[in-house]
Amino acid sequence: MKIHQWLGHTFTLERRRAAFGLIAVALIWEGLVRFLDVPAYVMPTMSAVLETMLAQRQVLASNAWTTVIEALAGFFMGSAIGVMVAVFVVSIPLVRRFVLPALMTINSVPVVAYAPLVLLWFGTGIESKIALVTLAVGFTVMLHAISGLDQVDPKAVALLRSFGADKAAILWRLKLPTAAPLIATGMRVATVRSVIIAIVTEMLGSASGLGWTIYQGVLQIDFVQVWSGIFAASAVSLIFFSLIAALERHIIFWKS
Amino acid sequence: MNVARDLLKHLCEALLRGALTVLTMAVVWELVVRVGGVPSYYLPSLVDVLAAVTVAPGAYVDSALRTIAETVLGFAGGAVFGVLIGVAFFQWKALRDYLFPMFVISQTIPVIAFGAVVVLWFGNTLWAKAVIAFYMTFFPVTVNTLQGLNAVDPRQVALLRSFGANAWQLLTRLRLPAALPQIFVALKLGATLSLLGAIAGEWFGDSVGVGVLLLHAMYNEQIPALWAAIFLAGAIGTLLYAVMSYIETRFVFWRDEL
Repeated sequence: MKIHQWLGHTFTLERRRAAFGLIAVALIWEGLVRFLDVPAYVMPTMSAVLETMLAQRQVLASNAWTTVIEALAGFFMGSAIGVMVAVFVVSIPLVRRFVLPALMTINSVPVVAYAPLVLLWFGTGIESKIALVTLAVGFTVMLHAISGLDQVDPKAVALLRSFGADKAAILWRLKLPTAAPLIATGMRVATVRSVIIAIVTEMLGSASGLGWTIYQGVLQIDFVQVWSGIFAASAVSLIFFSLIAALERHIIFWKS
Repeated sequence: MNVARDLLKHLCEALLRGALTVLTMAVVWELVVRVGGVPSYYLPSLVDVLAAVTVAPGAYVDSALRTIAETVLGFAGGAVFGVLIGVAFFQWKALRDYLFPMFVISQTIPVIAFGAVVVLWFGNTLWAKAVIAFYMTFFPVTVNTLQGLNAVDPRQVALLRSFGANAWQLLTRLRLPAALPQIFVALKLGATLSLLGAIAGEWFGDSVGVGVLLLHAMYNEQIPALWAAIFLAGAIGTLLYAVMSYIETRFVFWRDEL
């Protein structure tokens, strides 16, 4: 491949425009704050935020790491539980009749409203954050998995059964692969959510993590620190999201 | 009139089923607490939870009204803004290319961190919470509006154009109505998310609101009051969702025919 072809392929019009948009916003932010002489506690300059991030990179990284661990643990536990519950709900009609409505009732409460309760139950360590992320991710993945499993063609099930496949084989060979694209969508949506829930719970009660960093900044009216926490949280979310999206493309290769 | 009666019957059935679910759960809960001997620190008896409400019913009513006001204001703003931006992104692809990545990144900002900044800007007012609820609502609405507009059958567009429809007529007569089912999916999600945003926004030292009830109950370790606040949040969430679903059946009346 020639170099200009490669360049054209990598830097498509969309990507160039996206980069342009990002740079423009950064410049407008920096310029407006400087030009209007906005006090740092209202809106710090972007360069000040980046400088602080660089200077405090070790503290920031160790707090980000706490948040990443909480989000990842909750994400994988929640995804696994969500898919398992969905399989139960779809395969056993009684569970669907009686357990699903109860689950939906639990889910009708905004997840952050459970945060104080979870903190009292599990303490202010990482367990409480993992528990709440698991709950939030579990519901998201479960609902996607149920609608995915419901899409399975009954005729395909009948065909496999006529070949002598048992229930486990039908689940493994047919139902889960059919539901996989929707489960993956649910997991992708849940990535950003898991980081946000971890941070929200950290702000209510913890001694480390990005939520704690941000909350300390609020208490000390140090908004450069608040913004550096926000930037770090965004970066973590974006990396997590891209990783899961890349995995999705790799595993669910048959999706158009 | 048949349609109205069917709808009424449908609503009554849904209500009855919901009431049955809640009742069953309450019975199971009470049995687990009383017979199973679960410490009240984890699950208090429902009688105690009700008692927490009846001690100061005024606080719960005031908090519910305040939180609903914040949520509805922010939600309405977010819904209108989301649809408008969705249409704008659809009409001008360049605008979409420039700004959409910013929108995506804005959604990775944790709501509570955004809340801290917004409360600083707007003070600890109703408007600050409405802005947070707005922030939670507009993005899903923008995305679904864009998807819905893009999914319109090009043959229908060609047909209307052959009748001499201009861009505005195409948008209002075909594209927006066709996108409505998709938009309502986002609106129902947004109703839940905006409530979440309002509650999290109240955690910055306000004096009324469901979020305040939650926080006070946590600091005083009053588990029954905490559960009462959780139930209140669930009730408001369900109410908002039900209202959106009702509006959807009125506006997207052709949905069942699809």
